[in-house]
Amino acid sequence: MELILEGVPWIVVLIILPLTGGMACFLFPKISKSLGLLTSLAVVACVWGLGWQLIEEGAQRYAIGGWGAPLGIDLYADGLSLVMLAVAALVGLGISVYSSAYFSRDKANHFWPLWLFLCGALNALFLSSDIFNLYVTLELLGLTAVALVALADGAQALISAMRYLLVNLMGSLFYLLGVAFLYHSLGSLDIAILAQRAQPSPAMWAAVGLISTGLLLKTALFPMHFWLPAAHACAPTPVSAVLSALVVKASFYILLRMWLEIFPMVGSSFAQLMGGLGAAAVLWGGVQALRQTRLKMLIAYSTVSQLGYLFLAFPLGMSVAWRGALYMLLSHAVAKAAMFMAAGNILAAGGDDRIADLSSITQRLPLTLTAFSLAGMSIMGLPPSGGFIAKWLLLEASIQSGQWWWGVILLLGGLLAAVYVFKVVGHVFTQAEPKLEARAVPARMEWTALVLALVVIFLGLFASWPLAIMEIGSPFGEGDSG
Amino acid sequence: MNWGMALPLMVLGSSLIPGLMIFFLSEEHVVARTTLNLASAILKIVLIGGMFWGMLHGYHYESRLALLPGLDLVLRAGPLSMLFVLLSAGLWLVTTVYAIGYLEGSPYRSRFFGFFSLCVTATVGIALAGNLMTFLVFYELLTLCTYPLIVHRGTEVARKAGRTYLIYTISGGALLLLSTVWLYTLAGTLEFTERGFLSGLDTSVHPTLMLIFALLIAGLGVKAALFPLHGWLPLAMVAPAPVSALLHAVAVVKAGAFGIVRVVYDVYGIEFATDLGLTFPLAILAAVTIIYGSLRALFQDELKRRLAFSTVSQVSYIVLGIAVAGPVATIGGLIHLVHQGVQKITLFFCAGNLAETLGIHNISEMNGVGRRMPWTMSAFTIGAFGMIGAPPLAGFFSKWYLGRGALDAGQDWVILILSGSSILNAAYFLPILYIAWFKKPPERWPAERTFGRRETAWALLLPPVVTAIMTLLLGLLASAPFGLLEWARLIVSRGAGQ
Amino acid sequence: MNVIVSASLLISALGLPLLLALPALHRRLPWPVHIALLPALALVFIPVDLAIELPWFLLGTGLGLEAGSRWWLAISVMVWGVAATFLLAPDRRDVYHPQTSLFLLSLAGQVGAVLATDMVGFFAFTTLMGYACIGLLFADADETTRRAGRVYLVLMIFADILLFEAMVMAAAITEDLGFEMLAHAVSLSKSSALYLSLVIVGFIFKLGLWPLHMWLPLAYVSARPATALLLWVGPVATGLLGAVRWLPLGEMAAPLPGILLLAVGAVTILYVMLFGFVQAQRKQLPAYIAIIVTGSFVMGLGAGLSDPALWNRYGDSAPIFIFTVGLGLAIMIVSFELSVVKGEASGSKRTDWTALKVERWFEAFVDWGRRTGVGTLPGLRDSWLARWDRLWKKCVWQKAFGAGEYFLQRWSFAVTLFLLLVIVTVVLLLLDASPVQ
Repeated sequence: MELILEGVPWIVVLIILPLTGGMACFLFPKISKSLGLLTSLAVVACVWGLGWQLIEEGAQRYAIGGWGAPLGIDLYADGLSLVMLAVAALVGLGISVYSSAYFSRDKANHFWPLWLFLCGALNALFLSSDIFNLYVTLELLGLTAVALVALADGAQALISAMRYLLVNLMGSLFYLLGVAFLYHSLGSLDIAILAQRAQPSPAMWAAVGLISTGLLLKTALFPMHFWLPAAHACAPTPVSAVLSALVVKASFYILLRMWLEIFPMVGSSFAQLMGGLGAAAVLWGGVQALRQTRLKMLIAYSTVSQLGYLFLAFPLGMSVAWRGALYMLLSHAVAKAAMFMAAGNILAAGGDDRIADLSSITQRLPLTLTAFSLAGMSIMGLPPSGGFIAKWLLLEASIQSGQWWWGVILLLGGLLAAVYVFKVVGHVFTQAEPKLEARAVPARMEWTALVLALVVIFLGLFASWPLAIMEIGSPFGEGDSG
Repeated sequence: MNWGMALPLMVLGSSLIPGLMIFFLSEEHVVARTTLNLASAILKIVLIGGMFWGMLHGYHYESRLALLPGLDLVLRAGPLSMLFVLLSAGLWLVTTVYAIGYLEGSPYRSRFFGFFSLCVTATVGIALAGNLMTFLVFYELLTLCTYPLIVHRGTEVARKAGRTYLIYTISGGALLLLSTVWLYTLAGTLEFTERGFLSGLDTSVHPTLMLIFALLIAGLGVKAALFPLHGWLPLAMVAPAPVSALLHAVAVVKAGAFGIVRVVYDVYGIEFATDLGLTFPLAILAAVTIIYGSLRALFQDELKRRLAFSTVSQVSYIVLGIAVAGPVATIGGLIHLVHQGVQKITLFFCAGNLAETLGIHNISEMNGVGRRMPWTMSAFTIGAFGMIGAPPLAGFFSKWYLGRGALDAGQDWVILILSGSSILNAAYFLPILYIAWFKKPPERWPAERTFGRRETAWALLLPPVVTAIMTLLLGLLASAPFGLLEWARLIVSRGAGQ
Repeated sequence: MNVIVSASLLISALGLPLLLALPALHRRLPWPVHIALLPALALVFIPVDLAIELPWFLLGTGLGLEAGSRWWLAISVMVWGVAATFLLAPDRRDVYHPQTSLFLLSLAGQVGAVLATDMVGFFAFTTLMGYACIGLLFADADETTRRAGRVYLVLMIFADILLFEAMVMAAAITEDLGFEMLAHAVSLSKSSALYLSLVIVGFIFKLGLWPLHMWLPLAYVSARPATALLLWVGPVATGLLGAVRWLPLGEMAAPLPGILLLAVGAVTILYVMLFGFVQAQRKQLPAYIAIIVTGSFVMGLGAGLSDPALWNRYGDSAPIFIFTVGLGLAIMIVSFELSVVKGEASGSKRTDWTALKVERWFEAFVDWGRRTGVGTLPGLRDSWLARWDRLWKKCVWQKAFGAGEYFLQRWSFAVTLFLLLVIVTVVLLLLDASPVQ
């Protein structure tokens, strides 16, 4: 057994498996549902295998075709990538199960290949060690996401998909420009080699600026978040979940990698700028979420707000802060997926998701509302959820580094989140009569939402394990206390 | 099986698992639900009794779960924890019986009892918490579990009350989180240690520690209803009577007061806190709350609101006992924790009985109710006299120890506060008794329900009578061995290192 | 004397009235009060001094009977028996008499107070007795009696608080609050002056000395004479017993308090003689006589306080004095009862102005509080917040946020912002880097 686990290059399998699955679904549309589910399960198993490999042997580096860098392309897996892969696999499994009951026949035929391609692109992105490779995977990710958004019917969906496409292209363009600058000044595309050769120079700063802003656009940091709510509102529910939970996190991951490996010498004012924008995102997103009248828009703005938290780690710069941001990323991914699924259930049951009319629907969907509330706990940062652990770590970092104002932003964001989460949850406890013409929601959809929400709670109780895994390969630098 | 690790978890699970199971029962499964409720309450008392017995014989009970590297979730049984946990479990059993009778025929009972059990789980977690982190976790859980109980009825008033409750408690929770993280970064640990773990720190951080103390008291004071953070309590009276009883006697306000006890004794340490000059402002705050609560209570006509303000006033006795830094005063505060719980729950049960059986909500409607419901009003009388502090009821002994402690510690002004408060208590309780016993009953009660020859249902009658008898016994047998006084003396001698 | 017998006698002297106070029980018995008095009667006639300790109860209390308290017990038994005979008609068994329970409760309290051997027990029993007596006053049909009850209630509450503080002080001085040791311990302590003043003022409230004596005549106006007798043996006589026990008579010389007591007693007597008798009705006569008696007793106490030697010689006659006075009062009242009072004396129109005024002020205070209760500070704050909240939500902020989002979503705006961001970023980075280079 150990031999199998050791011998197989899980890194490669993780990329190839979803791609093959996607192609198979395209070729055999009749069994695409089962193929899709099977592939998702297999991906989870592969991540588990990779994890075992990492724990035993430390960070893994795989040279494609036997050609190592700088000539060839390397794949690299350490604790950070493993955590991202695990979250993508878990949430992916949940979304696959959910979609198997959500989509009708003809939509499903389009959905499964696109979805599995997206999975493959995600996995490849998390495992790449080459900045051009990252560009390729980023583009693939963007294209599949756009196509998935356009799956929904209607002119509105098409418009938002087009906008999303344009935004993607613009972001990737600037990213590519930055990559070109880097290549020109440092002569290599491999991250490890770039880390060794990095020297401060004007070209370097230009590259940093371009790459960062391109990625900021794709991560929907305030004020570049304008495309996110529209895309979420019109897309089908599983697609909204994928967008909020995984796709925006991918560009953040790239930014994180770059920041940790290549740019650490960058001065603090840019970090402060990112922190400031993050703070503005937290507050702006929170207030906007309060003003919404539709549930999916509320959740979308909540994503905008939560993404702001991630950027608070940049000005803090300590190991504790990075771990906090990463944990926030994890819990948010799972919690947001659960929330969107719950919203989808409500939409499916009642026909529309206006918040004012929620009272009559929520009486019929106790499981869904429980999932929403548990996910909301993480969004608010109340114990015992993953969001609480993340909030704790970030608060610790902000107090230790003396930059207490970020802590204030964290607490304010939590209060805002409490207001809009309870705005929805409060509709459960009314005296409204249950609507008679509600449609039945498939049990699979309700249970998937609930299971994901429970995962968030477990993330809050058993936090030391993921935190330990994150440290494999010390992506956050050695010797940092906290 | 390692009982030392398993028993605290089992105590927690004895209400968590039945609570989760109750959520899945439909409305018609009355027997199943009642059985689950009562069985879990009794099981909990048995387990806690076992833990108590074990602790007396020197066994050590502790469960740990690593939450973060360097921080654990700890459940530990110590003298102070056992005091609170016994109070909670005992009163929960009584309240469960009452709630079963009270909510007969109302909608959404499964939801109610599910959250009810979760609420007690959170309270037991607060009691058994072994460090400030665990306390914080269960404290926030308590907020989340009590919200559905407050808005249970679903009326507009209830929802508004729930909203106010959330605003107050979540803000308080945010302050508590901030101060906890701050303490952790300064001290590196959050374990409750007997003389506090902060006295060894450098003198340069002392101003910061004072600020953190203020934040902690603000965060805990919301639940403990200290002035001016008490605004949610009178509004939360729209909840059904069992909820008011549980909230005011056991769960929420006591959790806040218990938290303040823990902070002053096991985080800062009483000597360190006195050295920093933190106890005097706390005593002033408690005194202001006592007088303010009693004054507001005087002006209320609605019975439950009057009792709510009375709670605001009485819980601050506990804080006052702690803040008057002396062993005798602390004994007074600790026994008042128990006494106020038992007395207040009696009063709320009686108020609920009046509302359920006769439709009475205001004191002006209570003319002559003593003739119609003698047992209920007798229990109310005992509870009221206990609140006033008439011997030989339990409340007298709390005031006795508080007064003596104040004299011992040289804080004579506290005696004035105690006297003023007793006068005000008499001023707003005695008229109720007079109206109930000595005025002529009206022709018809607002909304009467008959129960045959009994004055009201058994499940509604038994709990207040039981708790009234407990009040009597707690007072009468105050000096008995294994009594409450001995227990409080033990806690104080260990905590103050004397 | 056999321990078990003495213990059971003492406990049953207390316990039987308490038990019989339950309506279910006393309804089934004829003459329930007299049955309840039997153990006490037995105690009176057993010539041995008894005492038992009850360390589990209250703060460690006990019950006992000795020479002095035997006289008190005797007068109590007699008066309660007489009152019960007149007040509670025995021939109608099953009719619910709320007065019976209150009667028995005050009986239990009073007997317990006589038998108590330490301060806390005494205090507990007098509280029980006091509230039960007030209940008896309230249960009466007449408004004047009820007002008397209210006045006495307020006085009793204040008195109780003062005596509570005195008790706490005594507890701070000595751990053992038994009466045997109390006087000696208090006389030796430094804070005895404060203690004395608290006790004296407290008992002035309780005993009906001038100027707080109004309730007694009020009660006598319309109450039945037997009730009036109860009021004397209950609050007043037991209060006197309390004063005897609580003051450290015979142990220390406290000239100032002693003279104070003398003065108060004298003034009471004078006041009653000058003003009371002039306006009294026939029915109020016993009340005023009782007040005079109380006044003279208090004078005696004052003398004893100023000169301990005096007390040591004559102090033992105090109980006997009370006994004889009580006997006299009882005979007077019995005669009142037996002779049918033909034609009620016209009700005194001179209502008690002070009490009425205080009551009015209190009610006005509560009303004011109720009206402004909504508008007091937190209420104000809440309503203000709500108004502010509504206003802002509706107008400015909504518009601002909506406009903000709208503009952000315009392509031109967004792209401009983006390019701006790029430029700012690069500039910041360059600025950061320049000192490094």
